[in-house]
Amino acid sequence: MRSIFLYEWNHLKHSSFKWISIILFLFAALYGLHNGKNLYEEQSAEIERIEAKNQQERVDNLASFSKDSDGGRLSQPYLAIWFSHIYHYKKPSPALVYSIGQAEQFGYYKRVNIRASPYDEDMTNEIANPERLQVGMLDFTFVVLFLLPIVLLILVYDIKSIEVERGYLPLIRIQVGSLFSWILGRTLFYYVLLILLIIALLIYGAVLTDVLISDSMAFWNMLFYSFLYLSFWTLLYLVILYFGKSVMGNTLSMISIWIVFVFIIPAAVHQYIGIRKPVNLMTGMIDVRDMKNDLYELEDSILRKQLFVLFPELKSSVTAKTDDQSFISKNLDYYAISNELMKNSLAPIKAESNEKNEMISSTYWFNPLTYFSNKLNRISETHYQDYEIYRNEIQLLVDKHIKRTILDTWNKVKVDQHQYEKYTIELSKIK
Amino acid sequence: MWRILKNELIFLLRNRVIKAITAGFIILLLLTIYLGSLQTETQSETYKAAKSHLREQWESLDAVNPHSAAHYGTYVFKPANLLSSLDEGVRGTTGNVLRVEGHVQNEIAHSEASQMQFVSKFGKLKSSLILQFIIPLLLIFLAFRSISAEKESGRLKFLLLQGASKSNILWAKLLSVWLFGLLLLFLTVALYVLINFNSINTDTFKRLSLFFTSYSVYYFIISRLTVFFSAIWQNATTALTTMLGIWILWSIFLPNIMMSTIEKLYELPSRDEFQSAMKEDRSEGINGHDPKDARAKALKEKILSEYNIDSLSALPINFDGIVMQADEEYGNMVWDKHFGAIRDITTKQKRAYQLAAIINPFISLQNTSMGFAANDNYHHQAFLLQAEHYRRDLIKTLNDEHAYGGSKTGNWDWQADNDFYSSIPDFTYRPLKFNEVFFRYRLDLIILMCWVILTCLFVTLSSNKMKIA
Repeated sequence: MRSIFLYEWNHLKHSSFKWISIILFLFAALYGLHNGKNLYEEQSAEIERIEAKNQQERVDNLASFSKDSDGGRLSQPYLAIWFSHIYHYKKPSPALVYSIGQAEQFGYYKRVNIRASPYDEDMTNEIANPERLQVGMLDFTFVVLFLLPIVLLILVYDIKSIEVERGYLPLIRIQVGSLFSWILGRTLFYYVLLILLIIALLIYGAVLTDVLISDSMAFWNMLFYSFLYLSFWTLLYLVILYFGKSVMGNTLSMISIWIVFVFIIPAAVHQYIGIRKPVNLMTGMIDVRDMKNDLYELEDSILRKQLFVLFPELKSSVTAKTDDQSFISKNLDYYAISNELMKNSLAPIKAESNEKNEMISSTYWFNPLTYFSNKLNRISETHYQDYEIYRNEIQLLVDKHIKRTILDTWNKVKVDQHQYEKYTIELSKIK
Repeated sequence: MWRILKNELIFLLRNRVIKAITAGFIILLLLTIYLGSLQTETQSETYKAAKSHLREQWESLDAVNPHSAAHYGTYVFKPANLLSSLDEGVRGTTGNVLRVEGHVQNEIAHSEASQMQFVSKFGKLKSSLILQFIIPLLLIFLAFRSISAEKESGRLKFLLLQGASKSNILWAKLLSVWLFGLLLLFLTVALYVLINFNSINTDTFKRLSLFFTSYSVYYFIISRLTVFFSAIWQNATTALTTMLGIWILWSIFLPNIMMSTIEKLYELPSRDEFQSAMKEDRSEGINGHDPKDARAKALKEKILSEYNIDSLSALPINFDGIVMQADEEYGNMVWDKHFGAIRDITTKQKRAYQLAAIINPFISLQNTSMGFAANDNYHHQAFLLQAEHYRRDLIKTLNDEHAYGGSKTGNWDWQADNDFYSSIPDFTYRPLKFNEVFFRYRLDLIILMCWVILTCLFVTLSSNKMKIA
């Protein structure tokens, strides 16, 4: 094996075309890693900026308690919670350096209040040129998934076939004994070379965002799936090399397989899903608007009954015991019940998205590119599922805001500085 | 030259491998057209159902105060486009649903990409995917041996001895490959026309013609370059690997890098910064819901003096509607300023990207393809602008009814009847006219033509440099 590796190293040393390919690959990978790092830093800085702004708002609100002896407008739980300026963030994972994934399709900060929903317009992507989004950003994952097989192709396409064309193969067969071991050895040389390159690039990426310190599992997983992906292509090319008889034939076969796996299959799956499950225009969610209007038409007592079903603990509240409920705004009942209506309307939308995702997952056995893309996105926490978790967290916080507003209003809680601070801490935590 | 060209075409038609590949590609292209049309049809049905559902909701509004109706608002949906079956462009990444209401201009939301996990980097299996990425590759495979094979077999010498010039041989080789690409392109467009014959109007036909032209020109460039490398290099494999390298650089690598770089050169604000700036500017205007607002008070004085009265109760119209409209008009100014700035930045980005085609003609192809297929950012922005104009008309109609419909100031119980709401027209999207689109993309077409001239110069160069053996 050592002699094969040395032979191949000599061959590589004299092939300027192969070196150019490797350098271009490295350049693309480094560019991709820096794109990931930039996005990670941009998102982190934006979150920090927004949080600093909110912190200032909260400090100003706290100061208003000392100015006004009875706390002014913030003494009521509803207004104190409304002005608690709580945002929920999807903080970027340091592994974003490797895979930008779907990070540009979704929002990553959201102000939470009793009227918010995880499907609000501000949950869409950041302001961006749609043509740029459509072209996509070159990240490390793109380089691995799309360019790595091409680099491998350029490195191995002439193995054996060039000897066949030049008539050296019978001689080599006599020299090496097993032709398969000889092809395998030469291919393994490039496999090892690319593995070393990937490891170096992953380490470089890890240095950019401190992945190894903050999320070492992401690093190892990324390494594992990159190896797996490279092995998949090496195996495919090995079969072609073993059976191939001409340089041109090998190149054509390899590039055809690359086109099929990279372009045709994922695009066909995408098209199939587009036909079976067209874009959801959210009419189910829009219909909640009419249901909310109907709520306003209901008698106060009916609305309140519904509120008691939602929050049975209200029965033991101070207000419920005194029977004087007139000071409690009907709006609170309305927001609480509207939130439930919204959640119910979102259930089928989520179910449809899950169906689409299952349809995609069911194609993984013949659609490796999509499989690996989603695996790598999951590692960098930029997968659809990660944003679904983020949306669910927002919903939990909205529920929490509503519950706290209603319970404290019914219990006639008078908000002071301490209570306000308690709100800002308690209502920003999911658990 | 024509005799050589004829012979080349006969060779292509007789070659069993090429026949099989051609058949495969024709089937694939037919499939993409069929599936593309089917998907557009499905999406159109979803769009029509949603649109009529929302219209039904609007038309069944009970008698309510016009300002309540402004808060109730409506939704507009981004319509499916007939040419989407050829090139979907930015459609998958842009939102599809836009809430239209008083006081606020919402963002378009719910893109297809945000409704599921990642599937494909290069979009759906549309004709554009095959025409932009795969057919050029096929042309490379057909052309990379065109001259070197002739050299190896000694046929090149024979042709020259028979009196053919080097230049004629190169042109014949180029044209035979190019015509093959044109045949596949023609079949694609012809089938598209056939399937959608009843829906095609003059505008669509013009768009299709330029769609066809830009692809034809790009195929010429690709074929020409491949024949050039085949002529100047002794080894066919070197010609193939060079062209594969160019293909990867042009189609996959450079568009990505250039667009990202341009976005950094002309940076867009973050949503939070943008919204904060809008909010700040908006706070300088009239607040329709705050009667204590100083600007609302000034407007009140102005109206009172116009009617020559001293109290709103004596006013024959409803001042609340007037103040709401003043609030809207100020908000519209703010929106025009800020969204105008965003549009300016994206226009600069687009112009820079178009110029990047000087080193990568694939960019021009991509631009013209999605532009003529009405699925680029210009068309998306046009949709957003039309939706905003509709919002302004709708809200003004409601505010005018509030002000002049017969109610008095402070009478929020006054209601406009259902006939009034039903009489307000629904939103209809008008696609951009062909001339506007052509104007936007003439630079891409010019650059593509420059590439043709440049590659034609290569013909002269390569014929001079071409070694016979």
